[in-house]
Amino acid sequence: MKAEDVKVCVVRIEGTNCEDEMANAFTMVGAQAEKVHLKQLLGQCDPSLKRSLEDYDILAFPGGFSAGDYVRAGAIFAARIKAGIGKDLKDFVEAGKPVLGVCNGFQILVELGLLPALDEVMADKPSAALYNNDSGRFECRPTVLRNDNKGKCVFTCDIGKGDLLMCPSAHGEGKLMSDIPNFTSRLEENDQVVFRYVTPSGEKAAYPWNPNGSPSDIAGICNPAGNVMGMMPHPERVMTAYTAADWTRGHPSEDGDGKKIFTSVMKYLSKK
Amino acid sequence: MNQMSAEERMVKRTAPYDLCDIRIRDASEDELKGISEALSLGLSLDEMKAVQNYFIKEGREATDVELQSLGQAWSEHCCYKSSKSILKEFVFGIDREDILSRGDAGVMVFDDDYGYALRVESHNHPSAIEPYGGAATGIGGIVRDVICMGAQPIGLADPLCFGPIDTKKEIPQGIKHPRYLVNGVVSGIRDYGNRIGIPTITGGFFFDESYTGNCLVNVCCLGIVKRDDLLKNYAAGPGEIMILFGGRTGRDGIHGVNFASKDITSTSEDDSRGAVQLGDPITKEPVIHACLELAQKHLVTGMKDLGGGGLSCVVGEMAIELGCGADVNLDKVPLKEAGLAPWEIWVSESQERMMCTVKPENVDKVMAIFDLWDIIATPVAVTTDTGHTRLFWDGEMIFDMDIEFLTGGPVYNRPYELPKVSTKADEVFPELPALNEVMKALMSDLNVASKEWAIRQYDHEVRAGTVLHPMVGKLNKTGPGDASVLMPVPGRWKGLAAAVGCNPWMTGADPYKGGKACIDEAYRNVVAVGAVPNAFTDCLNFGNPEKPDRLGEFREAVRGLGDIARELNIPIPSGNVSMYNEAPGGVYILPTPMIVCCGLIDDVRKAVSADMKKVGSCLFVIGDTKDEMGASLLFRKFGGKGGDVPDSIPARLKEVSGRLLKAMGEELVLSCHDCSDGGLAVAVAEMCISGQIGAQLDLTAMEGDVNVKLFSESASRWIAEVDGADVTRFTEIMGDAATLIGITKGESLVVKGTDLDISVDELRSAWNDPVWKVMGGDVE
Repeated sequence: MKAEDVKVCVVRIEGTNCEDEMANAFTMVGAQAEKVHLKQLLGQCDPSLKRSLEDYDILAFPGGFSAGDYVRAGAIFAARIKAGIGKDLKDFVEAGKPVLGVCNGFQILVELGLLPALDEVMADKPSAALYNNDSGRFECRPTVLRNDNKGKCVFTCDIGKGDLLMCPSAHGEGKLMSDIPNFTSRLEENDQVVFRYVTPSGEKAAYPWNPNGSPSDIAGICNPAGNVMGMMPHPERVMTAYTAADWTRGHPSEDGDGKKIFTSVMKYLSKK
Repeated sequence: MNQMSAEERMVKRTAPYDLCDIRIRDASEDELKGISEALSLGLSLDEMKAVQNYFIKEGREATDVELQSLGQAWSEHCCYKSSKSILKEFVFGIDREDILSRGDAGVMVFDDDYGYALRVESHNHPSAIEPYGGAATGIGGIVRDVICMGAQPIGLADPLCFGPIDTKKEIPQGIKHPRYLVNGVVSGIRDYGNRIGIPTITGGFFFDESYTGNCLVNVCCLGIVKRDDLLKNYAAGPGEIMILFGGRTGRDGIHGVNFASKDITSTSEDDSRGAVQLGDPITKEPVIHACLELAQKHLVTGMKDLGGGGLSCVVGEMAIELGCGADVNLDKVPLKEAGLAPWEIWVSESQERMMCTVKPENVDKVMAIFDLWDIIATPVAVTTDTGHTRLFWDGEMIFDMDIEFLTGGPVYNRPYELPKVSTKADEVFPELPALNEVMKALMSDLNVASKEWAIRQYDHEVRAGTVLHPMVGKLNKTGPGDASVLMPVPGRWKGLAAAVGCNPWMTGADPYKGGKACIDEAYRNVVAVGAVPNAFTDCLNFGNPEKPDRLGEFREAVRGLGDIARELNIPIPSGNVSMYNEAPGGVYILPTPMIVCCGLIDDVRKAVSADMKKVGSCLFVIGDTKDEMGASLLFRKFGGKGGDVPDSIPARLKEVSGRLLKAMGEELVLSCHDCSDGGLAVAVAEMCISGQIGAQLDLTAMEGDVNVKLFSESASRWIAEVDGADVTRFTEIMGDAATLIGITKGESLVVKGTDLDISVDELRSAWNDPVWKVMGGDVE
């Protein structure tokens, strides 16, 4: 399909706050992005505003503090989606359409059971969670990611394996934990690990390069099919080189490193 | 007649709601004072007499709602009765064609299509009592001021003043430890700012004993608005519907303005807890979306935030601007809990509330937008042509006041004493240890040391428009920046820079020069990144204006601000005054005029950061270094006394800035950093830290004593790094304003002819560790 025909649903509720830059990011790679309130998908609005998930090609969950994150990050948003349009969402994923969750969006995908979803499309109960950072603080700082995906993930299909991306992190709860035995190796077996935190020279990260203490330095994962991806760092904040924290020290390109994630998914859809 | 107690003068009305009629017309002077006290009105005897006269003319007694409303409207916080005449004399009226509005926030031209909004205000007293809630609601309030211009908030800046967090001194009774306050305030800003998704891009921490009993929490918000969508803050005429929206009204935040208009005492905690409001960022966040949609669709005529004084201020102010009145159905106001008395509803400062005025034909469309976002919205009033505010409860009138009288308020020309200023004549230069020790002491002073502990808890990049970050340099090895730069309009390279400037020590030692110094610092921070200074907003934090020495400081500082701003031809389209910043025992804060400067940069890709870029480039000091050691960090640290306070010469500042900006426009400047606390030496050291590069300095081309060259804090100066190949062109542009002082080299900061030779690593740890040591690891 052509880029200009790709319709992106950037879904939001109260407390979602990165929807503008998420929509802009998709616009910058040629797609049509629309910010859609969850109530529009649930039909709890004026009929003229009603939207249907199946009319979109990509679903994006932006960052923020949906519903205040007062219970557990993403939990309230996820519960409202599941109760209202759980089936539509499952159909969307099963159809192989791409779903992206960044930061709070990643937390929501985990709460929805769409990630890690080791053996199914959408688990009834979450099987992992994003815990408080080891530092106990909200951490807003640059992080370097290495693409560790072997080729399954549709959001990294245009990024070389082992390539490094500078994508900033800004979260208080980003440590991916699960009580599934051998969680990391299960993810590896399924090629579900997408990004790991590393140092700028690509070596194993310690704090602050791993800002939250996530085991095995995991920053982002996808589902077994590769069309649902969640990550804590914010690629939509580095679409140009000039919003990277150290651009004044030299930069190879006008594009920011985050853009490659968006061009990847567009490339994937262009072959459909 | 025997004297009646205030209680005897208050007659409860027979009604299903809680209302008192108050016999005021025949009250004696003592009885008037008694009424003011019993109702916590905060009004003086003269003010009570004016109120009495009003009701005598009206031929009736007052209701408690009316008196409470006057107590709000006539407080220092709401009507600036002590400061207005001084502000008028010195700072008002700097006009320029590119001022789009002087409303709740100032709005300046950004480009042909957009304007940017700016405003700073204080939330000092609430934060001293309840730091987390006080700071959070401070952010909420300032964000609302920007939203009600129709502007999308794009950045926050939070300059804060506290007692030293490592103080071992005994803290006075009723006062909280600075470390506790810092933790609470930073957490409050973090949780509110991060949750509403507005980046906290700059700020500042100022530590001094004088703030121990009365911390300062100043909050600034910037916004961006399409010029066609710019909103007014008032009704366009009679017959419009006033819709109250956002949070419900409760007992929190009653008498907040009166609390802000008196000194903090040892019992403020218990007396004034109810004056601190509660914030709710997740009510606020959808309110932002709804307000912007209303502005973009041109569905409202005016919008205003409910701040100090709550409904009692907002209704009158929105109505009177074009001479309207308003009829309010007070019983329609949605409440947090049942049983509030009408006067409580009328003056409550509960958070997250706003008011808009809407033409009747648009009411349904407006209500539909609020409904989508699940925002409580209630038509509560209609504008009239009477010039009066009238309140009704179930149809019964309980309030009828002339708005001109209500919002007019008193104006005072209180007595003042001009302060004695610090001069060279009484200078005592301190004994100094070896220069390496001096450098370590200056770098680790809390006012210089890294604030990364706080900065990284604030999301400073949400909205994806942050071009220059608050910390600059190598990733995770950063140092301090000057101004932060935003790219507010996606797809456009035009940038908005913002920086804080304030030097309370200079202002204390010489308020006139100090006021100028604050502006100079904010201005040069903006120039340092390559942006052209465009507008200021100021928050003037001072002591009790009823004390002549405090008011003298205020007057002189304001005169300084006005003189320099006028000569620079830079307007101050918004601002705020906070007085009565005094702690128990007669301790009052350093006079603290907090300045935020905004600047414009045509192409953010030419912005310059403060970190040294490479080995082998030339370092210049830009501007004139003079023997002006008064109030310098060196003197404060090592016990120096007196000395001339740096004097900013606006014409020179403007001229040198122009040249430096020209050089930056030609991309001749690799890095640039302003000289402030600790002078040239600290500025170079900070550039070394963020660039992880040493510097070899030779100051022989400068005149004067070496300690003056190194540590004087003369105004209007920068350090610039220039590639050797560009030096000829650079010096051609800069003329006499640039003096070569060395090169970037090695891994140490070395000054030829002195014993200063210290490694960048040592400088880094001296600068990096102090705040972490006190605050770090603490997650309470």
